[in-house]
Amino acid sequence: MIWWQHIATLLRKDLRLEWRSKERLSPMVFFVLLVLLVFNFGFELGGAALGEIGPGVLWSAVLFASLIGLQRTFTAEDADDCLDGILASPVSRSSLYVAKMAGNFLFLLAVELITLPLFGLFFNLTVGAYLAPLLIVFALGSTCIASVGTLFAAMAGHSRLREFFLPLLSLPILIPALISCVEATSLILAAGVPGHTTLWPDGLGTHLAMLAASGVICFFLALLLFDFVMEE
Amino acid sequence: MTASAAPATTNSTTTVRHTGLSVAVAVSMVAALLAVFLYAPTERQMGAVQRIFYFHVSSALTAGTAYFFVFVGSIGYLVHRHDRWDRFAGIAAELGILFSLFVLISGPLWAKPIWGVYWRWEPRLTTMLITFTTYVAYAMVRAYGEPGERTQRFAAVVGVIAFVNVPLVHYAVHLWAADQQLHPPKIDLAPGMAQTKYLCHAAFALLFVYFMRLRLRQERLAARIDRLRLRLAEQA
Repeated sequence: MIWWQHIATLLRKDLRLEWRSKERLSPMVFFVLLVLLVFNFGFELGGAALGEIGPGVLWSAVLFASLIGLQRTFTAEDADDCLDGILASPVSRSSLYVAKMAGNFLFLLAVELITLPLFGLFFNLTVGAYLAPLLIVFALGSTCIASVGTLFAAMAGHSRLREFFLPLLSLPILIPALISCVEATSLILAAGVPGHTTLWPDGLGTHLAMLAASGVICFFLALLLFDFVMEE
Repeated sequence: MTASAAPATTNSTTTVRHTGLSVAVAVSMVAALLAVFLYAPTERQMGAVQRIFYFHVSSALTAGTAYFFVFVGSIGYLVHRHDRWDRFAGIAAELGILFSLFVLISGPLWAKPIWGVYWRWEPRLTTMLITFTTYVAYAMVRAYGEPGERTQRFAAVVGVIAFVNVPLVHYAVHLWAADQQLHPPKIDLAPGMAQTKYLCHAAFALLFVYFMRLRLRQERLAARIDRLRLRLAEQA
C-alpha cells in the first residue's frame, strides 16, 4: 500500500467508528448550542448586536467545542492499545497525522455546518446566497484548528497538564487565525443587510489570504513535527 | 570533560570572564540610565514620559531575540538530542517571558498619559500579548512534564511551533489597517535620542547574555549535582 491508501484506510476507520458510536459529533454540536445560549445571556444578543459580536460568538463557540472534540483524537485509540498497533504497522507517522487531521477537519466542518442554522435562527440571519463564502472561511478555519489541535492532542496524554494541555497551547497559537475568521465572517454577514447584498465583500480576500497562509504554515509545520511527538 | 581534567584553571577563567561581564552590565546599565534621563533630549509632544521608550523598545527587542533563541534551541534539541540545547531553549523562554513582561508593563505606563487609557486592543499590543501567552504555555509544558527525554522532546516541538506568531509582532504595524494602529511604523529620532536608544539596546543585550550565562551555569551545576548524587547512591 502507498501513503494515500494508508491515510484513506485510517480515515475510513475513524469515520466508521464515529458513525457507529457518535461519540464526538453529537456532543460537539450540543456544546456549541450551549455556548451560544450562554453568550446570549451574557451579552443580551439582539438584532442590533449581531454585526458586532455575532461572528465572535460563533467562532468562540466553534473553537471551544473543537478543543473538547480534539481531545478525543487519540484517546479513542486507548482501548486495547490500538495506537501501539497502528504505530507497529507499516504506516508512516506522517500518514497517521494526515489521517487524524483530516478526520478532525471533517468533524469540525460538520459541526460548523450543522450549527450554522442554529446560529442563523438565534441571530435572525436572512438565508441567502451571500452566505456562500462562509464555506471557504469554515474550511480554512477548520484547517488551522485541526492542524494545530491534532499535533497537541497527540502530546496531551503524556503531560500532567492533561486536559489543559490542548487549550493552553492551541488557543494562543490559533488566535491570529481566529481573528481572521471573525473578521471575514463579519464582512460576509454584514453583506446580508437588505439593500446591498453582495457575494464578495471588499476586503474579504485579504482575510482569506491571511487565513490560508496560517492554514498552510500550521499544517506543514505540524506534519513535520509530528514524527518527533510519536517517537516511542 | 575539561572541567574534571583541570578544574582549578577552568573555574578561575570562568570566574574572571563572569566578573568581566558583570562589570560590563553594571557600567552599561548605569550609562544607559544616565543617557535616558540626562542626555536624551525631551520629546516635544509627549514630554518626559517618552523616556520610557528607550527601555520599552530595548526590552521588546531582547524578548524577540530570546524567543528566536527558543526556536533555535528547540531545533537544536530535535537534531542533536543533547540536554544542552534543551536547557538553552528553556532558559531563553524564561528570559523572553521576563523581558516581555517589561514591555507589557512599561507600555501601559506610557500609554496612560498619551492614549488616555492603559490598554488598547491595537495590533502590536495584541500580538505581543498573544506571543507572551504562547511562551507561558511553553513554560508550562516544561514545568508540568515528567522530567526526562519525552518532556524535552515535547517542549522542543512546542518551541518550534510557538515561533510562528512572533514575526506577527514585528509586522503588526504594517499588516493591519493604518486606522487601527497606535504604534508608529517608523520613528525618526533626533541624534541624541538615537544614540541613547542604541546604548540601551547594548545594555539590554549585555544584561540578556549575563542572565543567560548565569542560568545556564546554574542549570549545568544542578545537573552535575544530580549526577553526583546518583553515583553516590550507586556506591552506597
